[in-house]
Amino acid sequence: MIRRYQNTIFLTLLLALASVFSVADAQNAPEASEEGKRVYEKSCAHCHGTEGRGDGSAAENLLPRPRDFTRGLYKIRSTETGQVPTDQDLFDIITEGMPGTSMPGWDTSLSANERWEVVAYIKTFYDGFKENTAPRQIDLSGKIAYAEQSIETGKALYTELGCVECHGNVGRGDGTSAPTLTDEWGFQTWPANLAQGWTFRGGSETEDIFKRFIGGIAGSPMPAFEGDSFLHFGLTSEESKRLTELENKDEMTEAEDEESAAFYEKMDAAVDIALRITEGETLNAADRQSFNNAMKVVYEKSWHLANYVKSLSPEKRPEPAIGNNALRSQYIGGELPTLGDAAWETLKASYFPLVGQVILEPRQFNPTIDSVNVKSFYNDNEVAFLFTWDDRTHTTASEDEETGKMLEDAVAIQFPVKVPQGPTAPKPYFLWGGRLPVYLWYWKASAPEQVTELTAKGISNAEVQAVQSDLQAEGTYTDGQYNLWVKRALKTDDKKDLQLEPEVFVPIAFSAWDGANGDVEAKRVISSWYTFVLEPVPSSRRFIYPPLVALLSVGALFGLRGFARRRNS
Amino acid sequence: MKRLSLFTKCLIIFVGCWVFLRFIVGNVISVPIPGSVVAMYMGLIIIAILVHISVEDSRFREFLRPIHETLIDDNKRLRRRVIAVLIPFALLAYTYSIFAQRANPPGNPRDAHPSPPLELTYKDEVIGKMQEVENPFRHYEKDDPEAFKAHVENGRRVYYQNCFYCHGDDLDGQGHFAPHLQPLPANFQDPGIIPNFQESFLFWRISKGGPGLPAAGTPWDSAMPVWEDMLTKDEIWDVILFLSDYTGYQPRTFGEGH
Repeated sequence: MIRRYQNTIFLTLLLALASVFSVADAQNAPEASEEGKRVYEKSCAHCHGTEGRGDGSAAENLLPRPRDFTRGLYKIRSTETGQVPTDQDLFDIITEGMPGTSMPGWDTSLSANERWEVVAYIKTFYDGFKENTAPRQIDLSGKIAYAEQSIETGKALYTELGCVECHGNVGRGDGTSAPTLTDEWGFQTWPANLAQGWTFRGGSETEDIFKRFIGGIAGSPMPAFEGDSFLHFGLTSEESKRLTELENKDEMTEAEDEESAAFYEKMDAAVDIALRITEGETLNAADRQSFNNAMKVVYEKSWHLANYVKSLSPEKRPEPAIGNNALRSQYIGGELPTLGDAAWETLKASYFPLVGQVILEPRQFNPTIDSVNVKSFYNDNEVAFLFTWDDRTHTTASEDEETGKMLEDAVAIQFPVKVPQGPTAPKPYFLWGGRLPVYLWYWKASAPEQVTELTAKGISNAEVQAVQSDLQAEGTYTDGQYNLWVKRALKTDDKKDLQLEPEVFVPIAFSAWDGANGDVEAKRVISSWYTFVLEPVPSSRRFIYPPLVALLSVGALFGLRGFARRRNS
Repeated sequence: MKRLSLFTKCLIIFVGCWVFLRFIVGNVISVPIPGSVVAMYMGLIIIAILVHISVEDSRFREFLRPIHETLIDDNKRLRRRVIAVLIPFALLAYTYSIFAQRANPPGNPRDAHPSPPLELTYKDEVIGKMQEVENPFRHYEKDDPEAFKAHVENGRRVYYQNCFYCHGDDLDGQGHFAPHLQPLPANFQDPGIIPNFQESFLFWRISKGGPGLPAAGTPWDSAMPVWEDMLTKDEIWDVILFLSDYTGYQPRTFGEGH
């Protein structure tokens, strides 16, 4: 049977293989065609505009703005600075999308052929693609493995190279220049929060990060590590280290003076060569060699830095606090830990993703706060929470130029006033309540040691409770991150407060405001309802019944044996 | 090869069935069976085995023989001891796992497509009966294709200025805000959505949003805005035209069987 069809089977397999390879091999887009235009206008034009200028009807509510294709500035490339991307680069971005932006991956909704057609069509918006058909690609062959030593080296470079100025001390995008940045088109742009690798536009693998250093992120303020602007370009790593040492000295001896002068001469020579290359000059062998040596150092340092940046984020985005990941407050006997107590380190945080509030005007289409992480302990009388969220700026009171309203960083933690009994019982509307009221803890950056209790029946219908419970709070802002500690009694005398009991699952939701992003009143980031529970102390019966059952079973086995023996004899 | 005893065969059938129902069906065919249903099937299998072994006296004795031997034969001492340790330990572990189990938060039972009210309204204005109102621009599809196209284009603009953050570029419910929402935004590419509803139903869902849902639809959880506060009546009808134009799905029309 198989023999009879052998040839047919073989041929089918061959054809199947050929079709697989013809797709995988297609490194270059086809000629631009009507098909590409059709797909572009159906799927891309509403953001990127019919003319490719990044001005589609959705554009004004998006940040980052959709790319303007007419200037050939592409952020995510495998090519060197100033080069256009390869066709494969464009294809990959269309396929995978850009995390942290509104650009989705099109792998499920467009066929590979359609995506290649779009690549061809997009290229017609910029003439540079015709002039440069073979852009220089970044050499990835010198990759330095992800390891402790390399990460340490990268960490030192992070400060030396000035990454801190935008990305902040520990990389949360909170550097001093962060609020001042604009892109090539004049729109505000924020430096990446390097602790949230899942928002990296071009991926969070070491190679991805390395390519951003060498090729830059075109159109954004992120500089490319071009040779001549690179710190100590032309020096070896050892020489560079020595020069930093010399520069840090208060006074130099004559010999040291000469030594550092020699270093500067060497650097000037290297920059000179780099400039001659950009002017298109052909170099002699010796100059070429010294340029290659200098670039080798730049590449090595970039790999170390890429490894360091990678080390700042968790492997992947944490799982939201749903189902088994629900927030569980842990019981401890005695005093609850205060802010900064080591006891908090023993808990795993629950992750609550936040989303722009686009339900009521004024809406927030471009949120800057990604999530809030929460930990909690309770004892017989009180509960303590630790809320942690990243915010690139510390805004305590700044007037909005357009509306004159005071902008300020803040957070609100929301509970129902009464816990719904059973899964089908009504809950208050998740957006600050409605027919049923919600109970809120409101905290703002200008009064870090105060949490105000509110009752709300809707986002514009909130009032400060007349009777304020004895809530303790302490909030701090360090390196682009807020930590807010709140403690309250499990039970209060106020009927408008939530009363807490162990083992009862309580709905919880969040609102947060980033003043520097224009968040005020309804304009904010929000979450839908999640749940938290005061995790019951595990029943001590777990040490009594199981051994009892085991003992009984031993008895039963012996009994069975005795019975069988008696029957036998 | 020694013939398997009847007891071993029954054991193999029992364990085999359990592994199949519990693991193979769920993971390989990926249609997980609820635990209670698995327990029911296993009960049936036990009954079947009992019927099989008790049909004849000789067969029942054959079935019991290995158990009997294990219990008293001198040369089965090792097996006896292993069993005397294994069974109590298994029971210990199982009962402990029951007592140590953590409670899970209550689920969110909800009716994704609850019954609409009898009347279709926009703000307080009554448009007509839910079962009768048609899209006022639908007829252009036949009568005036140019005008129809203009309405679809306007619907496209409305969609990408208001809806796509959640419902997605490709109308697949996977917009960049979607992963953070519970319940998830509707996926219009799902053949179970648009073809199942009349345009008046879609108008009702869009205009009243989450807060306008009846209790069965858990109005307190849905992040769908009340669009009648932000969009005009015509814009809502246009965006409905766009939804069906983009996905290629026609909404249900009146007069079709239920």
